[in-house]
Amino acid sequence: MTPFTYSCPKTIEEAIVAAESGPDVRFIGGGTNLIDLMKMGVEHPRRIIDLNKLPLKMIEEHNGGLRIGALVSNTDAANHPLVRSRYPVLSQAILAGATQQLRNKATMGGNLLQRTRCYYFYDPSFEECNKRRPGSGCAAIKGYNRIHAILGASDQCIAVQPSDMCVALLALDAVVQVDGPPRSIPMRDFHRLPGSTPQIDTNLQPGQLITAIDLPPIPYGRRSVYIKVRDRNSFAFALVSVATVLDTRPDGVIRKAHIALGGVAMKPWRATKAEQLLAGKKPDENTLRAAAGAELQPAKGYRDNAFKIELAKRCIIRSVQSALRAG
Amino acid sequence: MYSKSMEPRIVGTAVPRKEAAAKVTGTAQYVDDVSLPGMLHGVTVRSGHPRALIRHIHFGDGIPWHEFTIVTARDIPGRNIVTLIFDDQPFLADGEINHPEEPVLLLAHENKDMVRRARQHVFIDYDPLPAIFDIDEALQAKTIIWGEDNVFKRYCIEKGDVDAVWSQADFIVEGEYSTEAQEQLYIEPQGMLATWDPETGITVRGSMQCPFYVQKALMPLFNLPAEKVRVIQQETGGAFGGKEEYPSMIAGHAALLAWKSGRPVKMIYDREEDMAATTKRHPSRTRHRTAVSRDGRLLAMDIEFIIDGGAYATLSSVVLSRGTIHAAGPYRCDNIRVRSTAVATNTPPHGAFRGFGAPQSLFAIERHMNKVARTLGLTPEEFRRRNFLRQGDSTATGQLIKQPLDLARLQQRALQLAGYADKLERFSRLNREGTRKKGIGFSTFMHGAGFTGSGERHLQSVVHLEARADGTVCVLSSMTEMGQGTNTILAQIAAEALGTSYEQVQVLRPDTAQVPNSGPTVASRTAMVIGRLVQSAALSLKEKLLQAALLQPGYTPEQFQSACREYICSIGPLKTSAQYEEPPGVHWDDEKYRGEAYGAFSWAVHVAEVTVDTVTGEIQLDDFVALQEVGRVLNPVLARGQIEGGVAQAIGYALYEKVVWRDGGMANNQMTNYIMPTAMDLPPIRVYFEEIPYEHGAMGAKGIGELPMDGPAPAILNAVENALGISFCHIPLLPEDVLSELSVAREAALDLAGSVV
Repeated sequence: MTPFTYSCPKTIEEAIVAAESGPDVRFIGGGTNLIDLMKMGVEHPRRIIDLNKLPLKMIEEHNGGLRIGALVSNTDAANHPLVRSRYPVLSQAILAGATQQLRNKATMGGNLLQRTRCYYFYDPSFEECNKRRPGSGCAAIKGYNRIHAILGASDQCIAVQPSDMCVALLALDAVVQVDGPPRSIPMRDFHRLPGSTPQIDTNLQPGQLITAIDLPPIPYGRRSVYIKVRDRNSFAFALVSVATVLDTRPDGVIRKAHIALGGVAMKPWRATKAEQLLAGKKPDENTLRAAAGAELQPAKGYRDNAFKIELAKRCIIRSVQSALRAG
Repeated sequence: MYSKSMEPRIVGTAVPRKEAAAKVTGTAQYVDDVSLPGMLHGVTVRSGHPRALIRHIHFGDGIPWHEFTIVTARDIPGRNIVTLIFDDQPFLADGEINHPEEPVLLLAHENKDMVRRARQHVFIDYDPLPAIFDIDEALQAKTIIWGEDNVFKRYCIEKGDVDAVWSQADFIVEGEYSTEAQEQLYIEPQGMLATWDPETGITVRGSMQCPFYVQKALMPLFNLPAEKVRVIQQETGGAFGGKEEYPSMIAGHAALLAWKSGRPVKMIYDREEDMAATTKRHPSRTRHRTAVSRDGRLLAMDIEFIIDGGAYATLSSVVLSRGTIHAAGPYRCDNIRVRSTAVATNTPPHGAFRGFGAPQSLFAIERHMNKVARTLGLTPEEFRRRNFLRQGDSTATGQLIKQPLDLARLQQRALQLAGYADKLERFSRLNREGTRKKGIGFSTFMHGAGFTGSGERHLQSVVHLEARADGTVCVLSSMTEMGQGTNTILAQIAAEALGTSYEQVQVLRPDTAQVPNSGPTVASRTAMVIGRLVQSAALSLKEKLLQAALLQPGYTPEQFQSACREYICSIGPLKTSAQYEEPPGVHWDDEKYRGEAYGAFSWAVHVAEVTVDTVTGEIQLDDFVALQEVGRVLNPVLARGQIEGGVAQAIGYALYEKVVWRDGGMANNQMTNYIMPTAMDLPPIRVYFEEIPYEHGAMGAKGIGELPMDGPAPAILNAVENALGISFCHIPLLPEDVLSELSVAREAALDLAGSVV
């Protein structure tokens, strides 16, 4: 590990001022991802700013919805009565991730910035990784790419964003509140596809601090479900996951569907095509298949992950069917 | 108080493990816990090419190379060969590369980070040569990479006349089955610490199963006699066969660096290097052709069994031998032919791994038996019942089953414990609806304990027992504790035979300067073979005390201890030993591969219950029953642990663990992408024993360690077949494999519907 200095500001203002000193600065919340990356030699911050003294640990009602502070732990968010009753999909998604110990430590703000678990990004002994070392190439494209992207990838990078929480937040139309200066970023604009700059994961600017995540009021939020397919029941990231929230009429017709996919792209993927095809329809088998097929139509598989295209379609169908039975 | 007549006293009870306190309090010394003054850290520079000639080695800029100790093949003082069976593998490549992890050069430096960085700055120019990567390419022999035909070894077992049967058979059933490599994934990666002294020679300490294998390999490397090569086992964090032959390699490397630098050198692999470079389970392909009569009798079994040994022979011939002998399973048949081959490919050598060839060939036969039963219209249990080996029958090698054996009863009991009949009926009803299908399946199998054939006779294992003045007794053997409980059971056996307490028996850590050669800790031989020697040596020791009239029959442990003290004070050292003697009536013909292949077999029936998600292809195990007959159980907790651990490891083998190869190297040598099951993925594993004492085993024990690795994979795939009606013949079976078959089935159904319209 490279040596670094450490500070622990007590106010948001102090934290933002402290972060102005340059690009080698990192905020730390739970540290479950950053410390790992520092140990592996992927991240080399010179200055660490510990956020844990900041007053960002509240979950409160806000504009009819909910505001969750950036320092709330994954566990506390997932178990909060208001999250569980109004947004069960978020609770399910968080609990599907990592392990109990990691969830106790990981924060909501930090989880938004969770970095990819691409094997080649995570291990600097691989020379090629455009995300880690821009211009060095992509070892995953020709390497073992079972967990990699099937949507929105580029010839520079085929990594995926691994957070389960983010998939649910996207389906819920959450808004990320940042400071330095204050700004609201809708979830759909928060993460970035790799394009030609795969080293940049999000649209957060250097020095900006995430303060909270706002969940809008969704009267039908209980009609929601998170499903996750992974290689084992613990300690595994999603091969494919789907968060679905449905607004349905009493006759079973879908008014509006919110569907987001995880494990398929470098950002949580909003299935807008599928949503459009389902709106105003009664979701029978054929309608669902057509909607899922349309969403995955631009998908591209690589040597080891082509199966994820069919898997993603099947998971969309299962997820909508399960959501219809939920709430 | 126990009454004197109450048996057993110590054997058969769950005494605490000898090394448990040291492990849980953190005082156990693994090799990386040991540091010596002036110690250097060593690393290996590996080839990165599957097959090539080395043209030139150069050292990059920016590294203070003069501070490093550098060893190449040219520095080696003795023979550049890792002595094992065929003597084909060099410690360091000398001009020629045969797999991508082949060691080319060694570096050592005081600074661990520096030596790791330096490894990246050694550049080797190669002239690539054509390479081969699988069994078919090896057999085609268009490119020859080993010997004259890429073949390490062939065997042929012939019993009766298979070819005379085909024309009379009512049914002939064929099948092909294959298995992939598996990584041992012991918790502690490989590591060694070597020192060199011109007077005393080489001393190596580290993580290993077989100290005398390491000694045997290091003697010719340095042209040193045995007394100048001392090998000491440190606490060893798991091995599973992975530390049978590979430790000779890393020990040789550490020793070469120590010899050249004159300083202690430690080499510890990180997980990625360990996974990529060290041995794994042999991939295999088995073809069956089976003749049966209409009434469900096996008439002839023709079996072809092929394993991929990787670039060097290592133990492939022995792995092949065990796989060959187990290939016909626990069935009686008058006409059996097993032809087997171990081939060379340009991957790192495959080697010992729990089961040692048997999990591969038993996977094939136990899947195939279900196929034959289906062809006959019999249930798998009824077909097996009609063909089980019984006492008085002979195996494929002509070994007479002398011990009581009733597999039909074992099968019946296991199926009852699993609720098999009820579940079959219930699942077939449940599976008519929904997307999650349930299934149940089983396997029946055996594992031969101890070395194959004349192996134990050649080993001539020796064990010493020595009493000390304080009344304690020390067991001296080369058996290694690696987490499986060796020290505990050997102490139990000694204490029981001596009539002393368990606490008063110590088991010395293997050190070639202090313990006799009792052979390697492999082949499920420790309890049965070495335990028996401990028992004999203990009885001799007790006899000495009785003869010296220091003890009277019916003595207490306290009286035993004072008798030891008195003997040592008044008569002298109190030490006994025992050497292996072949049980009477054991014959083995190495040429024809006929005779008593093993001293004894352990037998088992495993039943697996699964749920297959037909939307995602995921398979979840819901229940597992493991019933086995392993002779007398010496320690019920350890025995149960062996079975549970073996079943868990075999579940990984069947459903999770896939080694992905790219140009002969492992592409997923990380624990994030080589997926092993966690506790969350395991079903309840219900373990049951039948105890039929084996007269030549220690206190009646047979081998246990490898048995549970053999049966779960076919039981699980049989259960998947029951759930889906799809027969999978390859492991590991991953969700994408299931999904792909289900998609094919669905498209076929849609096509059919389309054509009707």
